[in-house]
Amino acid sequence: MQSTLTTSETLPPARTASRWRPRHASAALALVPFITLLALFCLAPIAWVLIHGIKTDSGIGLEHFGEILSSPFYRQAFGNSLRISLESSALALLITLPGAASLARVPGRLRDIAIAFTNMTSNLAGVPLAFAFIIILGTNGAITLLLRRWGLVDDPQLYSSRGLILIYSYFQIPLGLLLLYPAFSTLDDDWKHAAALLGARPGQYWLRIALPVLSPAVFGTFILLFANAMGAYASAYALTTGNINLVTVRIASLVSGDIFLEPDMAAALSVMLMGLLILVTAVNQWLLKRTNRAS
Amino acid sequence: MSFVEISRLAKHYGDNRIFHDIDIQVQQGEWVTLLGPSGCGKSTLLRCIAGLTDVDNGHIRVEGEDITHTAPQKRGIGMVFQSYALFPNMTVAQNIAFGLKMQRCAPEEMKDRVADVIGLVELKGKEAHYPHELSGGQRQRVALARALVVEPRILLLDEPLSALDARIRKHLREQLREIQTRLHLTTIFVTHDQEEAMTLSDRIFVMNHGKIVQQGTAEAVYTQPASEFVARFMGSCNLLDAEQSQRLFGRAIDGHLAIRPEAIRLIRPQQDSSDTLPGIVMRHQLLGNVIRYEVESRGSVLWVDRLNRGADELMPSGMQVQLHVKNEDLREVH
Amino acid sequence: MQAKTWHRCMVTGLGGLLAIPVVATLLYSLSSEWGATLLPDGLTFGWYVQLWHDPRFLTAFGHSLAICLGTLFLSTVVIVPAVFVTFYRFPGLNRLMNVLILMPFAIPPVVSSVGMLQLYADGPLPLIGTPWVLIGCYFTIVLPFIYRALANSLGGMNLRDLMDAAHLLGATTPRAFLSVILPSLKPGLMASLFLSFSFLLGEFVFANMLVGTRYETLQVYLYNVRQTSGHFTSAVVMSYFLFTLALTWLAARLGKIGSQ
Repeated sequence: MQSTLTTSETLPPARTASRWRPRHASAALALVPFITLLALFCLAPIAWVLIHGIKTDSGIGLEHFGEILSSPFYRQAFGNSLRISLESSALALLITLPGAASLARVPGRLRDIAIAFTNMTSNLAGVPLAFAFIIILGTNGAITLLLRRWGLVDDPQLYSSRGLILIYSYFQIPLGLLLLYPAFSTLDDDWKHAAALLGARPGQYWLRIALPVLSPAVFGTFILLFANAMGAYASAYALTTGNINLVTVRIASLVSGDIFLEPDMAAALSVMLMGLLILVTAVNQWLLKRTNRAS
Repeated sequence: MSFVEISRLAKHYGDNRIFHDIDIQVQQGEWVTLLGPSGCGKSTLLRCIAGLTDVDNGHIRVEGEDITHTAPQKRGIGMVFQSYALFPNMTVAQNIAFGLKMQRCAPEEMKDRVADVIGLVELKGKEAHYPHELSGGQRQRVALARALVVEPRILLLDEPLSALDARIRKHLREQLREIQTRLHLTTIFVTHDQEEAMTLSDRIFVMNHGKIVQQGTAEAVYTQPASEFVARFMGSCNLLDAEQSQRLFGRAIDGHLAIRPEAIRLIRPQQDSSDTLPGIVMRHQLLGNVIRYEVESRGSVLWVDRLNRGADELMPSGMQVQLHVKNEDLREVH
Repeated sequence: MQAKTWHRCMVTGLGGLLAIPVVATLLYSLSSEWGATLLPDGLTFGWYVQLWHDPRFLTAFGHSLAICLGTLFLSTVVIVPAVFVTFYRFPGLNRLMNVLILMPFAIPPVVSSVGMLQLYADGPLPLIGTPWVLIGCYFTIVLPFIYRALANSLGGMNLRDLMDAAHLLGATTPRAFLSVILPSLKPGLMASLFLSFSFLLGEFVFANMLVGTRYETLQVYLYNVRQTSGHFTSAVVMSYFLFTLALTWLAARLGKIGSQ
């Protein structure tokens, strides 16, 4: 539409927010406690960790990282953490996929109850979860006895990485469900119908249309589950009293506990862990942007 | 025997009767429209014909073959959905090729057939685009191409034009009809727009509350409505009750008297006044190429449509006129 | 209707699977003896009686409640004005905020603890071992939940128009905020607060590493008494689990009333 206004009559540009306007100073005050708390309890510790990760006796250096990478003990910690996180996330995803598909299809009431229920069970995460699994799958656990009676397994290794994978999968499932089922609701039924009329069997529809459309959400969920598992500490600690070699357990033992305290090493380990997690979160955000573009 | 024979089809959902006693015959190459207001069951009926929902009673036969319980994959039916249902993860070309892929068509032949149908719907150049990059009209044409390329024996269209702008809708309407005629494709079309139904169809089935209330050519359904509902639904209609009918035309009826606005002629009082009704013009509406007058006559108000022939032919409010209606244009409906 | 029943079965099956540890813990807390047999030998409430008379447990529970409520109060008072001000006065900050609130997610508590132990052990802010450091840390934990809930509510309403209308009718900005905006934020806020509460009750890492037994919370207590009978610990778990259940139910009721 052609504007008939001359330049002198055009309206001034819309007011853009600028935090330096004096009249907004009082508003800025409202942000001060927020920023202070954030700085004290989130930014400062991270800054300390970042700085001390690269600080050595002779100034800045990557010695700590070298030490970590050359130590079989620390390498095993990373290996265990990665393996357990990957396998538990995969297991949880395998269970969550059909679960979320069904959750998106059941009537609203059942869905609300189901979601509330899964939220409730996730309150068990951490120490109580470890204890609960000991009850079920410990040496004298109910399911252990069942398995023994059926001759399936002699001693289910709860106190090893296999047990941890089970425990981690358990608390990943509610998270996975919550993240995935909205994606399933975006699947248009008419796609299924159109595909059927064009000759596709249900399996072909899922393979060629539904899963490709869902894949960013599925992958993003997997990544979040993985990050969550990498950072988990309480369950593993409670189950094995810190005897299992995981990155988080190692970090904690270097800053609290009975043996030598090496906060700088802990910082270096933390930096490596954080680097991995930030990389993973960034990939997730990029994937989200991709889904938003395509829809 | 007809190409498509639907007999005694019925479906209910709990206590709700979606449709019942549906009998439809469609000849090969014919364009048939299911016309009715929202909620009359026409879309569900279409989905049942496609096999996407099952029926509770009755039979569907195509070329003599009973397909009432056949899977949708095997019915040889193509369908264009109201929402188009284009697969978002595939390009235009991949969407169209999907049905051929399911038939395990050879890649060379597939390329040719896809290119042909893209030319047919005038989408050349858009093969590598994704659905979200296309306009509404373009998406509709992709949906059509996808349904046509597999050479179905019946084409079903579920209100494919309702989401489009009026101008595009008119253009696509013509394109659709032209393609259908060229391919001699048996087509069942669902709409709530009676103008669309009348311009496109060979025959119309008017539905209301799950039943077919009238079927016939557009001409027949329009000029000879079988019921008050059809009279009201197919365009504007004057409906006089028994008392008014007696008063104005001396006709004793049992139901309503339906008179189309364009069937009433307005004459200036100078001419022969026998066999006419006196009237006064109350107001008029400009509908574009038609002027609709509200004329009061013997205590009743009638709509009268006249072609818009310019300001000098306009009849002003308060003007005295005479109304004349041919006997065959007075239709009794129940 | 085959698909329908499949979906229902799937959902209930999944629920059942998730319920197993809860049910097992419940049974264990109610059984007098459960040796190497499939089912408990006898049922009793004795463990609960013992638990709720244990002063150490009651202290720990009290500590947890105090810290959680303190955190929620502090968070509300700090975050609500901050979010409002961001949306209203400094909308350009929104993107930065969204990144900031992601940080507690990307940083595992163990890592934060490393820094905190070094920074706040002595020096100007000797917070380690006091409940204050926990409240601060818990603030960062609940920040994403509360911020998200408030941001969703604020994003959904026409903030600028509402504030302008209030101004035209003579209200000052704080007054308009309190009377017009805050009431609409309540449902989302309350929901996130209840969610955060149950989350905080289950927090172990910060509580154990930064405070430990100096201000023993519920989870630390639970870990420390693990050597006592498993029945006893199960009773602890079920007690606070049922408490959380009651809270969540309450939140749901309030949510329904709020939306009517």
